[in-house]
Amino acid sequence: MGAIRNDIRRLRFEHGEMTQQELAEKIGVTRQTVNAIEQGKYSPSLEAAFRIATVFGRPLEDVFHYSANER
Amino acid sequence: MSFREKSAWIVAGSMLVVYGFYFWMIAKAVAAGQTQSFHYGSLLVQAVFALVLIQILFHILVAVPKPAEARAPRDERDQLIALKAIRVAFIALSLGVVLVSFSAAVYPSSFFIVNGLLFVLVLSETVRAASQIVYYRRSA
Repeated sequence: MGAIRNDIRRLRFEHGEMTQQELAEKIGVTRQTVNAIEQGKYSPSLEAAFRIATVFGRPLEDVFHYSANER
Repeated sequence: MSFREKSAWIVAGSMLVVYGFYFWMIAKAVAAGQTQSFHYGSLLVQAVFALVLIQILFHILVAVPKPAEARAPRDERDQLIALKAIRVAFIALSLGVVLVSFSAAVYPSSFFIVNGLLFVLVLSETVRAASQIVYYRRSA
């Protein structure tokens, strides 16, 4: 089984040190959900993933990475 | 901790306290052999009122510091956790109903059947809330 990694924390930092709460409000989820996504504990829906990528103005693959061999 | 997780703690805790007391009284009636004379209906009504009041009070208490979070609809993770918890609770409910159905052959009185089914309902609701807490801790 693979694992989905992400660069949300780095991207938040690069976007004026955006807080988890600010990102959560922009994509319509709770701060706790953003935290869970960031830590790789929760894989967001495709729609939420696209919304996150849109907030950072990046393509999806710049934000999320899939590794087939990781868990 | 999110408002939804706090809500699950309130539901689980209040169910354990209120129905714990109710079924303790039921167990005492059974031990004393008073199942025919024990009026569990009024006790049950009091338990339901107490449960509603406790849950409303504690939900208000946790909503006051962050009203926007309390008003916000469930997000996708909340919905996923709710669905997973319902699946676990349904297993508990199904097994319990089967068990009570078989027990009715041994104890064919309305006292045991009604309280047995009520116990299963309470147990499955508590399992649902407890499962939510576990899934929130694991972050789904």
